[in-house]
Amino acid sequence: MPASPRRAAVIGGNRIPFARANRAYANATDLDMLTTTLDGLVARFGLAGERLGEVVAGAVLKHSRDFNLTREAVLGSRLAPATAAYDVQQACGTGLQATIAVANKIALGQIESGVAGGVDSASDAPIALNDDLRRVLVKLNAARSTTERLALVGQLRPGQIVPEIPRNAEPRTGLSMGEHAARTALEWGIGRTEQDELAARSHRNLAAAYDRGFFDDLLTPYLGLTRDDNLRPDSSADKLATLKPVFGKGPDATMTAGNSTPLTDGAALVLLGSDEWAAEHRLPVLAHVVDAETAAVDYVHGGGARGADHRHSTDGLLTAGVFAVPRLLERHGLSLQDFDLYEIHEAFASVVQVQRRAWEDARFCRERLGRDGALGAIDDGRLNVAGSSLAAGHPFAATGGRIVATLATLLRERADSEKTDQRGLISICAAGGQGVVAILETKA
Amino acid sequence: MAVTELHGAPSLGPLYASAAVGAVLPGRATTLPDTELVRRGVTVDPGHFADYARVCGFRVGAALPVTYPHLLTFGLQVVLMAGRSFPLPLPGLVHLANRITVHRAIAPSENLDVRVWAERFTAHPKGARVDLVGEVAASGEPVWEGRSTYLARGASAPGDPGGGSGDGDGGDEVAEPSEPAVPTGPASALWRLPGDLGRRYAAVSGDVNPIHLYPLTAKAMGFPRAIAHGMWTAARAVAALEGRLPDAFTYDVVFRKPLLLPSTAELVTARDDDGGWRVAVRGARDAERIHLVGHAGR
Repeated sequence: MPASPRRAAVIGGNRIPFARANRAYANATDLDMLTTTLDGLVARFGLAGERLGEVVAGAVLKHSRDFNLTREAVLGSRLAPATAAYDVQQACGTGLQATIAVANKIALGQIESGVAGGVDSASDAPIALNDDLRRVLVKLNAARSTTERLALVGQLRPGQIVPEIPRNAEPRTGLSMGEHAARTALEWGIGRTEQDELAARSHRNLAAAYDRGFFDDLLTPYLGLTRDDNLRPDSSADKLATLKPVFGKGPDATMTAGNSTPLTDGAALVLLGSDEWAAEHRLPVLAHVVDAETAAVDYVHGGGARGADHRHSTDGLLTAGVFAVPRLLERHGLSLQDFDLYEIHEAFASVVQVQRRAWEDARFCRERLGRDGALGAIDDGRLNVAGSSLAAGHPFAATGGRIVATLATLLRERADSEKTDQRGLISICAAGGQGVVAILETKA
Repeated sequence: MAVTELHGAPSLGPLYASAAVGAVLPGRATTLPDTELVRRGVTVDPGHFADYARVCGFRVGAALPVTYPHLLTFGLQVVLMAGRSFPLPLPGLVHLANRITVHRAIAPSENLDVRVWAERFTAHPKGARVDLVGEVAASGEPVWEGRSTYLARGASAPGDPGGGSGDGDGGDEVAEPSEPAVPTGPASALWRLPGDLGRRYAAVSGDVNPIHLYPLTAKAMGFPRAIAHGMWTAARAVAALEGRLPDAFTYDVVFRKPLLLPSTAELVTARDDDGGWRVAVRGARDAERIHLVGHAGR
C-alpha cells in the first residue's frame, strides 16, 4: 500500500428532480428511479458499454425483493453488465457513505472508477404484513403435513389483515426524527426565526442556482419534472413564520412543515475515478475526496456521557456531525474556518443551527470535543449556497449524492473564477444517532 | 421446611380458577405454608424464549433475559399461593415490588433447578404482605434469585401491625429494599402499548390473571380497563438497557400506579455515579403518573 494513497476524483453527478411524496413519482419504484438516474449519468459521461470498477448505492425504505437493488439497476442500465455493484444503507448517510466507500477503493488502487449514491421513494414505501400473520404464514410455508397446515390456518384471525404501518420512528425511542430534532432544538435554544430564515435562504439559493443553469449538468428530467417540486422561489421568512409547528409541544415548539424537510422521492449518483481514468476518458475533474469521518452519539440513554454539570443530559439524535467534524479537522490540522464552502444537510433547519451553535459554544467544545475553545462560526454566505434539502426535498439515501455533486461543482466554479484552491466541508446527519462528514478540495 | 417436588410445569389457568372459588370459602390457613416447591432439571424451550423475548423487547441471544427465570419460578409461586394452605387469597393479590439478582449469564441451554417458598408474611398499612422467593441453580450453583412482594388488601397478618421483619413465619431477616429515586428529565423512549398486550404477555408468562386480559374481566376486578402485567413493564424497561448492563447485577422495581391498556407511556433512564441505571415508566401525557420505578446495577 502506498504511504499516501492517491485521492479519488469527483468527476460529475446526476440526479432526477426530487418530488414530494405521492405526486409526480407516485408510481415510480426505487429501481425505476435508480436505473433512470444511472442511465442519465452514463449518457452524460459517455459510459455506455463501459465496465466501471463498481456501483454502490442504497435505499432507506427498501422492499425485501430489492435486496440487490443497485446490481439490478446496473443490469438494467447501459453500463456493461460486467460492472459489479452492491447496496449500502446508513439511513440519510447512505449516499455519502457510498461515496466514501467508492472513493476509498479508488484511493487504494483497487478500482479506477465507480458510481455512488442512493435512491428513496416515500410513495412506494414497503408496508409489512402484520407480524402475527407473517409468522403464521412463515410456519405454513414450512409445514410438512396437512394436519400441521390446518392447525396453522386455525391461527389466522381477521385482525391480522391490518398491516404494520411504517412509522418514521427510531426503534429504540419510539420518537420520530422530528420529535427528536424538536427536543434538541429546544435544548440548544434554536429560535423559530433563525430556522425560518435558513429555510427561506435554502429556497432562494436553490431557485437562483436553477435560474443560472447550475443544475443543467447535474440533472436528468423525469416524469414531467425539470425542477424539484418542493422548491418555492418566492418563499420568505415572513411567509414561513405563519405556519403552525408540527413537532414539539406548547409555546416552545418551533419546527414547522416549512423548516422541516417533506417526505420526498428521488435518486442521485456521483461519478468517481482516479485522475488517470478521468484523463483517459477526457473527463474533467471537479474536486477530490480528501477524507471522511463518521461519528455516532448515544441519543438513547446518554447518561453521564457529558460533563456532569452540563445542561444537556443526552446527545441529540441528529448531532453526530458535531463530533465527526472536529475529529476530521484534527486529522488535517485544519480549523473550521479553513473552508470556502460548507454543505450541512438540512434535514431540519434546526439541525443545521444546532451544529453551528455547538461549534460556537466554547464550554461545549472544551468539555465534549476536547478543544481549547470554540471551533467558531460559519458564515451564512458560505453555507448551502446552491440550496439544500429544505428546498430540494430529502429522499433519504439520495441526499448524499446530491450534496457531493453540488459541492464539487461549486468548488470547481470558484476555483476557475477565483484562481485559488478551494476546500469544502460536508456534514450529513443520519437516523440511529450517526453523522457522516467529508472534505472535498479543488485545485485552481 | 418440607420440600415438595413438581414434575413438569404447572398449568396456571385451572389453578387461578380453583383459587377464585377457594377465595370465598372459609377455613383458610393463618400462617405461611412451611413448604418449599422444587422443580429439577428444567430446560428452556427455545420457542418460548423467543416468544418471551419478542413480547418484552429482548434479543434472542446467548443469555437468558434477566427477567426470564421469573417465569420458571412464577408457576411454582402460583401453585403455592393457590393452595388452601396459603393464608392469602390469590385473586386480587397486588404485586408491590420485585427484586431479581442474576449472578452470571445463564445460557438458554442450561439445566436449571428451581426452588420457591414464601416468607415475610407481615402487616402492611393496607393489609398484609408476603414475599414469594425463587431461586434458580445450575449444577448446584445458585445463578438467579427473585423476590416478589405481594399485597393482599384488607387482609391481616399475624404479629406486629407496624410491619417490619419476619415474625416466626420462617422468613429470614431481609433488608427492605429502599425505593430508588425517580429519574426525571426527557424520556428515553415512547411506548405505544396495544390493547392486547396483557393477552400477549399472559400467553408467554402463564399469568392469566383476568385484570390483564380484557376490559370486561378487568372491570369485574375493579379496574377501568385491562392493565399491563407489572413483570412485563419491568422486563420491557430493563430490555431497553440492552448492552448497558453487566452479566451479574440486581434489578429492583417498585410498582406504583397501574398501567392501563391501551395507552402510551414513557421510559426514563438515568445513569448513577456507580454505573447503575435508574429507570421509571411514567404516563406519556401525565409525567407525574408513575407506573414503575426501578434500579439496575451491582
